[in-house]
Amino acid sequence: MTIPEQRLVMGEDGLAFAGHKLSRASLDACVKCTICETACPVSAVTPLFTGPKFVGPQAERFRNGESVDHSLDYCSSCGTCTLVCPQGVQIAELNSQARAVMKADHMPLRDRLIGQTVLMGTVMTPVAPIARAALNNKPIRKVMEAVIGVHADAPMPPAQSQTFEGWFRKRPKPAGPFPRGTLVFFHGCAGGYFEVETSKKSVEVLEHLGYQVLVPKQGCCGLAQQSNGLFDGATKDVLKLCDDLRSAGTDLTIISSSGSCTGMLKHEAHEIMGVDDERLRDVGTRIRDIMEFLLELHDAGELPTDFAPIEMTVPYHAPCQLKSQGIGKPAIEVLRLIPGLTVVDSNATCCGIAGTYGLKKEKYEIAQAVGKPLFDMVKATNPELALCDTETCRWQIEQSSGVKTEHPIYLIHQAYGLS
Amino acid sequence: MSRAVVIGAGLAGLVAANRLVDAGLDVTLLHKGLGGLQLGQGSIDVFGYAPERVLNPIKAVSQVATSHPYAAAGSAAVLDGLAYLKQELPTLLVGDPEANYQLPTAVGSIRPTCLAQPSMIAGHVRDGAHLVIVGIRQLKDFHPQLVAENLARTVLPDGGRLTARHVWVDLPARDGEVDSFGVGYARAFDTEAFRIAFATALSPQLKDDEVVGLPAVLGLADVKAWRDLAGKLGHQVFEIPLPPPSVPGMRLNEALTARARSAGVRIVPGVRTTTFSTVAGRVASVTTAAGRTYSGDAFVLATGGFESGALELDSHQVVRETLFGLPLTGVGDGPLVHGDYWGAEQPLFRVGVSVDAAMRPIDPWGAPAYPNLWAAGGILAGASGWKELSGDGIAVASAVAAAAAITKELS
Ligand SMILES: Cc1cc2nc3c(=O)[nH]c(=O)nc-3n(C[C@H](O)[C@H](O)[C@H](O)COP(=O)(O)OP(=O)(O)OC[C@H]3O[C@@H](n4cnc5c(N)ncnc54)[C@H](O)[C@@H]3O)c2cc1C
Ligand code: SF4
Ligand code: SF4
Ligand code: SF4
Repeated sequence: MTIPEQRLVMGEDGLAFAGHKLSRASLDACVKCTICETACPVSAVTPLFTGPKFVGPQAERFRNGESVDHSLDYCSSCGTCTLVCPQGVQIAELNSQARAVMKADHMPLRDRLIGQTVLMGTVMTPVAPIARAALNNKPIRKVMEAVIGVHADAPMPPAQSQTFEGWFRKRPKPAGPFPRGTLVFFHGCAGGYFEVETSKKSVEVLEHLGYQVLVPKQGCCGLAQQSNGLFDGATKDVLKLCDDLRSAGTDLTIISSSGSCTGMLKHEAHEIMGVDDERLRDVGTRIRDIMEFLLELHDAGELPTDFAPIEMTVPYHAPCQLKSQGIGKPAIEVLRLIPGLTVVDSNATCCGIAGTYGLKKEKYEIAQAVGKPLFDMVKATNPELALCDTETCRWQIEQSSGVKTEHPIYLIHQAYGLS
Repeated sequence: MSRAVVIGAGLAGLVAANRLVDAGLDVTLLHKGLGGLQLGQGSIDVFGYAPERVLNPIKAVSQVATSHPYAAAGSAAVLDGLAYLKQELPTLLVGDPEANYQLPTAVGSIRPTCLAQPSMIAGHVRDGAHLVIVGIRQLKDFHPQLVAENLARTVLPDGGRLTARHVWVDLPARDGEVDSFGVGYARAFDTEAFRIAFATALSPQLKDDEVVGLPAVLGLADVKAWRDLAGKLGHQVFEIPLPPPSVPGMRLNEALTARARSAGVRIVPGVRTTTFSTVAGRVASVTTAAGRTYSGDAFVLATGGFESGALELDSHQVVRETLFGLPLTGVGDGPLVHGDYWGAEQPLFRVGVSVDAAMRPIDPWGAPAYPNLWAAGGILAGASGWKELSGDGIAVASAVAAAAAITKELS
């Protein structure tokens, strides 16, 4: 597997890109209230990181090219600071941009490698059993840690023997009718290669509700590259993806059960990398997280609530990348419609993984400390099952708590009698 | 079920959301960031200065001018709101609406407040008291010598005097950290091990009968941490609030938010509400900058004041209410800001929306701007909350009054 050389979009001085100008404009709104400092999950567990205000609006003022505060690399980009700032300062975005500049000419191979999610998925799928064995193999993981810096105990994607696309193409076509019209389904690379069941169940729920579901051929959103500072590759990927999704129709609602990729399309590509493109705007306004979509249906009085009871108490964790979409926690509202089901909100800030952050050997311990309250809560609430909307977070929760963790759609699927 | 949308998650928005969900409504709380609670003292000021120091806050409430927000909300709503807070947050708020506490501040002045946290009240100043103020070397923002010397030279509100001295403890919140903020210490005080280490360092420095004043960092998640420390020291202790971030304020913010969440309020953080729509003269929905629309039967505007972006002043001295463009009171009678910054109060601070007896914003002729729009908290005209020390009480009382009016209207 060869990794293409990546270059950054920003110009010579590292400041000349649109996203940076955008976020930087929010800098002067900082009133130094310290609200963001109190909410950062990383600075809460390690003195190595000075926190959002210091590396963000404060250090940014002294920045001419590279950031003056290198502890910035410890920011996980979870986005919590931006969410709580009452003055609209885009702290997390500023930090992501500054980090991209800081690491521009010495990006570790590891950061480039784990940004290549499609590549990993494509390569791993046909050889899934071997990949699974390799990733579960301690000595091999030790070598990975030493060579590319992925911590030996970090969670790894579960390789599958069939891709979602494979399933979708080969299954018997639903006959219809489709009284509710047509939707486009966006599975994301994780949903296509690793979290195949989640994608399948999502499509089956939508079809059960009476929608025809289209799945155009689609690539990666580029999020993993973006969060590792590889803006050039990420921008290409996200625009290519917009084209892919638009090929199915330009006025259809797009549904995704991959919470993090949805956030990339809705706002991150624009706010962090400054991608300013009609295609992105179009897709970004038409896309809905699947639980958000179900809640919208419910609010409009259009969601059938003939759910079979599920007698269970289940912990639910809202991932940061869902929270930063500004939609609240729709999964909780929808799950509460299932009779017998008690959903307990973890109310934890972050599970620690933050995309690929918690995989890295120098961040692993921090990520585990960030997630510890969540892992404890999950174990105490239900040792059998936890729910969470994004895949990397599910892997992290499952790996660190030992509790099976699924997308909320699993229980919706079950309560509609589909499994 | 009737739907209420509350905009803003400061004290006003949190109390309104809790009261509305208690009344059986389906409540959505939208906010673009945390409110002012964790920038304050973590106590509930009802009336501190009118303009002289207030001893009986509820009496001062009943004597306000008709243009004051307390006149619209009424004393009954103030009492109702205070009783509600004490009942819902019994480990966090205590006090008597008829008697202010007089508590030491981080600069050694004496601040009147109505409800305080149990961890603060041993600081209520008394003639003949012996205080020792404890600083922590690695904690910026708290200067025990300043506090002690100012307190010692002050004649107390009841005419008495106290003695105060200061001591230092040298104990980092985390290994190797030389410059921590209060929240870092609060997290350390949440652990028994740190409390033991702290008590061990401090105990030998204390004299019999001394009441121990500490920076307000005695635990965040564990609201009983301060009690445990007092037990270990064998002395009464009290917390003195610091400049932001305020640990006591965070406790209140988290407790009210958690209560709303568990009562079923749908909280949507990180969204700025930018536009609204009307149908037949009523507010039908509000829409966020991210493009999501929230419709409802009743709307509560709890967006605060200038500091939270609810009001805006442009370079032509024009003030605007930024969401609904509501008519404002307190504008149009000359300059809003004068140059004498230490002199008379700036007229700007009293600008806001005026409301009717049901807490609905009104137009200049006294009619409700929209029949289903209510307002609470810092957005209201007619008070300088920070100067009177009345902002918290106004937020609580107006939220309680608005929620009651909404419940009545919709049932
Ligand atoms: C410097 C200063 C010091 C003060 N000191 C004191 C004091 O010591 N004692 C006292 O009693 N009072 C004091 N006050 C008054 C204080 O404002 C009130 O006590 C109280 O905080 C007001 O609460 P609130 O809930 O109305 O507003 P806030 O706490 O300001 O909350 C406003 C909320 O609305 C949200 N919001 C605003 N616009 C939008 C929008 N468009 N969309 C979505 N959300 C939005 C904000 O994010 C926030 O969550 C002080 C005020 C200032 C400015
Ligand atoms: S929360 Fe916002 S305004 Fe407050 S310190 Fe952080 S960036 Fe500045
Ligand atoms: S993005 Fe997350 S980790 Fe980074 S500074 Fe903000 S809150 Fe902290
Ligand atoms: S990993 Fe999970 S919880 Fe954590 S950053 Fe993502 S989304 Fe946040």
